[in-house]
Amino acid sequence: MDADGQEPRFSRRLPALSRRSENHVRRLATAFRMILALLAAGVGLLIAAKPGLAPTPQDTLVVGQLAEPRALDPATVTGANDFRILANVFEGLTRFRRGSLEVGGALAERWEILDGGRTYIFHLRDGVRFHDGTAFDAEAVKFNLERLIDPKHPAAGTGPFPFAFFFSAVKQVEVVDPLTVRLRLDEPYAPLLANLAHPSGYMASPAALTKLGRDFGRAPVGTGPFRFGLWESGRQLRLIANEAYRGGAPKSKALVFRPIVDPNARASEMLAGGLDVMVELAPDSVAAFRDRSRFRIHEAGGPHLWFLILNTREGPLKDARVRRALNLAIDKQAIADHVLQGTATVPAGPISEAFGPASDPEVKAYPHDPEAARRLIREAGAEGATLKLLASEGGSGMLEPIAMATAIQSDLGKVGLKVEIETFEWNAYLARVNGGLKEAAMAEMAWMTTDPHTLASLSLMGSATPDKGGFNAGYYENPEVDRLLDEARAEQDSEARAALYRRIDRIVHDDAPWAFVATWRQSAVTSAAVSGFELQPSFLMDLSGVSKAPAL
Amino acid sequence: MTARGLLRQPLAATGLAVVATLVLLALAAPLLPLPDPDLAEPARRLQPPLSGFGALGTDQLGRDVLSRLVWGLRVSLAVGAAATLAATVVGSAIGLVAAFYGRWVDGVMMRAIDVLMAFPYLLLALAVVAALGPGLANAAIAIAVANVPFFARAVRGAALGVVGRDYVDAARIAGLSDRSILVTEILPNVLPLIVVTAATTIGWMILETAGLSFLGLGAQPPQSDLGSMLADGRKALTTAPHVAAAPGLAIFLLAVGLNLLGDGLRDLLDPRLDAGRGGAPAAATDVERGDAREAEQSGEGALVVAGLTTAFDTPSGRHAAVRDVSFALPRGGSLGIMGESGSGKSVTALSICRLAASPPGVIVDGVVSLAGEDVLAAPVERLREIRGARVAYVFQDPSTTLNPLMPVGRQIAEAVSAHGAARRAETVDEARRLIEAVELPDPDRIASAYPHELSGGQRQRVGIAMALAGEPDVLIADEPTTALDATTQATVLRLFSDLRSRLGASLVFVSHDVSVIEAMCERVAVMYAGEIVEEGPTAAVLSEPRHPYTARLVACTPRLGEPDRALDPIEGAPPPIDGRPKGCAFAPRCRLAIDPCRAAPIRLEPVADDRAARCIRWEDVSLGRA
Amino acid sequence: MTAYALRRLLLAVPVLFGVSVLVFLVVSLIPGDPALAILGTFATPENVAKLNAELGLDRPLPVRFVMWLKGVLTGDLGRSYALDRPVAEEVMDRLGPTLILASAALGLSVFFGIAAGVVSAVRQNTRLDGAIRLLLLVGVSTPSFFLGIMLIQALSARLGLFPTGGMTSLFGSGGLADLAHHLVLPAVTLAVVATAIVGRIARASMLEVLRQDFIRTARAKGLTEERVIGVHALKSALVAVVPVIGLQAGYVLGGAVYVETVFQWPGVGRMLVEAIGRRDILLAQGGVLAIAALYVLVNIATDLVQAALDPRIRR
Repeated sequence: MDADGQEPRFSRRLPALSRRSENHVRRLATAFRMILALLAAGVGLLIAAKPGLAPTPQDTLVVGQLAEPRALDPATVTGANDFRILANVFEGLTRFRRGSLEVGGALAERWEILDGGRTYIFHLRDGVRFHDGTAFDAEAVKFNLERLIDPKHPAAGTGPFPFAFFFSAVKQVEVVDPLTVRLRLDEPYAPLLANLAHPSGYMASPAALTKLGRDFGRAPVGTGPFRFGLWESGRQLRLIANEAYRGGAPKSKALVFRPIVDPNARASEMLAGGLDVMVELAPDSVAAFRDRSRFRIHEAGGPHLWFLILNTREGPLKDARVRRALNLAIDKQAIADHVLQGTATVPAGPISEAFGPASDPEVKAYPHDPEAARRLIREAGAEGATLKLLASEGGSGMLEPIAMATAIQSDLGKVGLKVEIETFEWNAYLARVNGGLKEAAMAEMAWMTTDPHTLASLSLMGSATPDKGGFNAGYYENPEVDRLLDEARAEQDSEARAALYRRIDRIVHDDAPWAFVATWRQSAVTSAAVSGFELQPSFLMDLSGVSKAPAL
Repeated sequence: MTARGLLRQPLAATGLAVVATLVLLALAAPLLPLPDPDLAEPARRLQPPLSGFGALGTDQLGRDVLSRLVWGLRVSLAVGAAATLAATVVGSAIGLVAAFYGRWVDGVMMRAIDVLMAFPYLLLALAVVAALGPGLANAAIAIAVANVPFFARAVRGAALGVVGRDYVDAARIAGLSDRSILVTEILPNVLPLIVVTAATTIGWMILETAGLSFLGLGAQPPQSDLGSMLADGRKALTTAPHVAAAPGLAIFLLAVGLNLLGDGLRDLLDPRLDAGRGGAPAAATDVERGDAREAEQSGEGALVVAGLTTAFDTPSGRHAAVRDVSFALPRGGSLGIMGESGSGKSVTALSICRLAASPPGVIVDGVVSLAGEDVLAAPVERLREIRGARVAYVFQDPSTTLNPLMPVGRQIAEAVSAHGAARRAETVDEARRLIEAVELPDPDRIASAYPHELSGGQRQRVGIAMALAGEPDVLIADEPTTALDATTQATVLRLFSDLRSRLGASLVFVSHDVSVIEAMCERVAVMYAGEIVEEGPTAAVLSEPRHPYTARLVACTPRLGEPDRALDPIEGAPPPIDGRPKGCAFAPRCRLAIDPCRAAPIRLEPVADDRAARCIRWEDVSLGRA
Repeated sequence: MTAYALRRLLLAVPVLFGVSVLVFLVVSLIPGDPALAILGTFATPENVAKLNAELGLDRPLPVRFVMWLKGVLTGDLGRSYALDRPVAEEVMDRLGPTLILASAALGLSVFFGIAAGVVSAVRQNTRLDGAIRLLLLVGVSTPSFFLGIMLIQALSARLGLFPTGGMTSLFGSGGLADLAHHLVLPAVTLAVVATAIVGRIARASMLEVLRQDFIRTARAKGLTEERVIGVHALKSALVAVVPVIGLQAGYVLGGAVYVETVFQWPGVGRMLVEAIGRRDILLAQGGVLAIAALYVLVNIATDLVQAALDPRIRR
């Protein structure tokens, strides 16, 4: 601004004056400066007043979620992310007890199992009403269950229902009286009670379903502690306390679920105080929340299993010795500690410890023993083999699939196996893997189930290969396992049933059709003011007992 | 030539250095003593830079960030270059074919390009990559597709200019195949444009490919480029910002380097594309006079120009375009300045009010005295008061000298209000009066018309009205009627002359047209190669020239009433401003030139009463013999 | 002018048709099966085929296109598989935030770009000019996704000056101030490249215009330099800059994809990335179509502005 405002000099050399004196455009410049000053002042004011950084209200609990829920019709969704919300709006006939996967009563006060497991009679709780004021009764139960299994049901158009197979054993739902309902099964099916506690068994208001049809998923009506408030796409989903809840009004007046897809953004928002609860803490963000005066980190195990499906039909992994070698070669503890930052533990076998007695305590995780692995590989003549590993980029329960694949590649390289990684977007990945491994040797997979039967029957039975509509993508076949699973399915005595699963656990561990890599310890962060928060092994999140102390 | 040219521009040289360093680094990646970029060592993850685990630390899997950076750079560069190459080849081919075949081929291709261009740039890339599936190659294809329209349009535009040329027709007649015409005749002509377009877009393409990778649609693990490294690093931003910062800064640096280099290349290969290079004229011509001139002011006359020397700054140095021009104009008098184009007559006229474009013009010597005031010493604010009010100009081509975006009435009113008239209504009235004064029909309609809605003659009347608005003491007309047809020229000249005499203004009339000068001016100054070569009363000078150039100029002018007169054009051309001969500038074209003419500068000397000429053989000059 | 506007609108019709064909084709090529996205882990080939039949995805492409186009013309863009909600509703919800962000960014870039270009041109070859040119070049080379995450990290997460993302806070005073507070960082991030491009073009065209004869005429009339530059030169320069602003609108709408992703802005861009990730074909189609149509309209608007500035174009 050399000549700004300066009186032009009568000089022999004039260019400075002609080119640089800027008072010619004074008015324009003034306008420019004024706008600039206004903008600066505006931003300054915003920074000072922080209108966008208001603290969350004390009676409202704000939960940072992984993503926008797909829908809020419990029968149509599959993600843990959506289930966390649904668990506060809906209830099933049964529920998982706090802190375990044992089944207790919910909308059904009690039940009787007759006919060697072929008939269930449920006695419903009296006086329960849906949020829309309609009564919850036996007709409602019939309506809900038939919606899942009867393609001609009036509300069948609200489907598809991915978990319908949970109830496919049910042949008939009969209303005995308004508070009694009878289910008839074509054969004994022990997992039924657990499946009724699963969100796919939640009871929705038949009146609302009939009225809204597909739009029910945008405005759900259940019997739970919170009722639906509003849903602003991409911003928030708000639930309002159901003062008339049968278990008493919940401690918070409202729940707000905010979808924040990016884990880093979610962590930033939590740090900035915009969230009270944040689920699925990214391993790398753990360090940021160590401050006990501001945050609490919650962790809980659960029936999650992250495993590699191994190809038992084609290639070097046909040989069980090589499959065992893989389990020995992968440094699972290092993956859990470093790649997953301590958010996972090392599983022993296919049946999760979270299933209590169904998991065999004698079955121990394969140790990290590259020497033994090399020996087994040598015995099987598979030295230097090239294995294709299918990996997903993300996905429900998949933890850090790419980083884990890379670590596995590195570990197997150390025992002389060359691994080629092929990655897919999650949905494309499911399409590839659920169709069977084909020429690939390994594929990453993760399941979260609430009954020991589900994963094993869908993924380990010889009759569950992809061509038969199952998820046994590695073509594992062991008649003994098949027989035990069939027996367990029909066994009504829980101790006897658990014993069968323990035997399956042992056999599958030794056969090693999978590499058992990690069991996720689900994690969440709450602000220090939040009390009553507890993670459940069922991955469901009941927030009715959670409250927030007044801010200081 | 290219390399040296680039190195001369400091910014481009910097860009070249940055890009060269990065490219070399990427090329040398396999040779450098770097750890395996994919070697995961989870136990020493997220080590900060300079902590003993590689210069830039490690990432979430304990991989060496520096090594990954170099290898990622290699991928990013390769992909960016491949995308650019693909976009260039395909886009250019489409542009060439469309321009060459024209008609429906052009129509169909360009409509398709229009449709592609109807998508916001990144959205198109996103849609393509969505269709092809994520992956680095697909991301590159997507970015290339998104850029094809730009190349196609640019190349088509340039090629259209070439297709109509004679040599293309000649090649067609010679029976060359379409393909060989395209490749050998048209392509070479549009090649610089193609290179420039590619050079200026490659940085952008690398940036966008990295962006797609950042969104997870480009490089798929374990393969990684700078964009996917940034996306990975972002997850650990709170605890280990270096993992994201390193690739982010690398992308940025690469883009800056490529853009600097691209700009440099563009300036070099296709200066037309860089409008900013020539520079815009300042409000007034620079004046850099020596100290000697101070006292040499004469108060005589309305306008006295003494020793005016205006030079142009060119790449080869400063050269005088107008040298030592002096003349005096009494109040009410008229002077014609005559000469070929390039003789310096316009620069002389423009220098009077310091309107010669600067840069490149600089007034290095002389005095312009307006009723005793040295215009060249006046501050710009004073100069503004002089312009329009004391000295007014009428310019040559009214189609470019009027603002095309402003109704002419407002342009006239503006001239009125620049000097006094306060209220808007008054200026509008005054403008209307001026439009009537220059005999334009329907003043209201004319006032609201835009220049392109008027004929050439009407536009020039508007120009005259504008010049009269400030009731100036001196009118300077720079070839005011050259762009008009003969009839219009005559009427406009008559009008101009009438109005001037009514105003009593002095006149400087610049023209190459002998007969117009003859009609308009009492005195004439003939200019050649920046100097006045002859000066005197118009009638005398034109009938009895004393400089061979004047004689030749008169001789090659058709004269009214003498249709059979043999016209004798002057062969050769005036010397360029950086190549003026030591002696007489006209000598190379002069039939009378002798050795002394070439030996030393010739002085302007009196040859008769009130007349001067710059010729040592003036006595031998006559109309018939020169 | 009206006739010109009508003609310009009419010309947009075939382009829009072409756009819709292209959108449909490209998005239909997206690999992966929406049925899988719905059924999740429990998708069996059998269920997938059944669902595809229900969704009409097993019909031939032309049939699906006609169905889709019929829907588009009646404002029915289908139903999003992933959100279980009409696409048109979702797109409408998302369009507002994108418009707010894009127009703020465009406003900033037009204001600062033109100011920088004019100052730089008028003070050509001074140190200020050099500084502005360097800044503009740096701006053009800035990856907005990198800038965005760095701004969040520094100004939001560390210093707590701005919200870390989102468009409005769920609680607190709300209103315009709240929106503005959320808008600052994303708008600035999105504006940087556009500002730099507008600035470069504004400088070049300003210099070009300043060389024109009519500028000399204006100066010869004794007009103040303010008027010469502020009225005569600027208006002409704008004629050249306006189409570039139109192009920048395209950049801004596209660049919104990054910025909305980084800043959690609930706009169409983020919706698109998510929809593509989930193989939500109809939603992706709807989003791309909406943005492309918007861009066509913006281009018509810039043409009209240009015509308003330049009477020669109107004919």
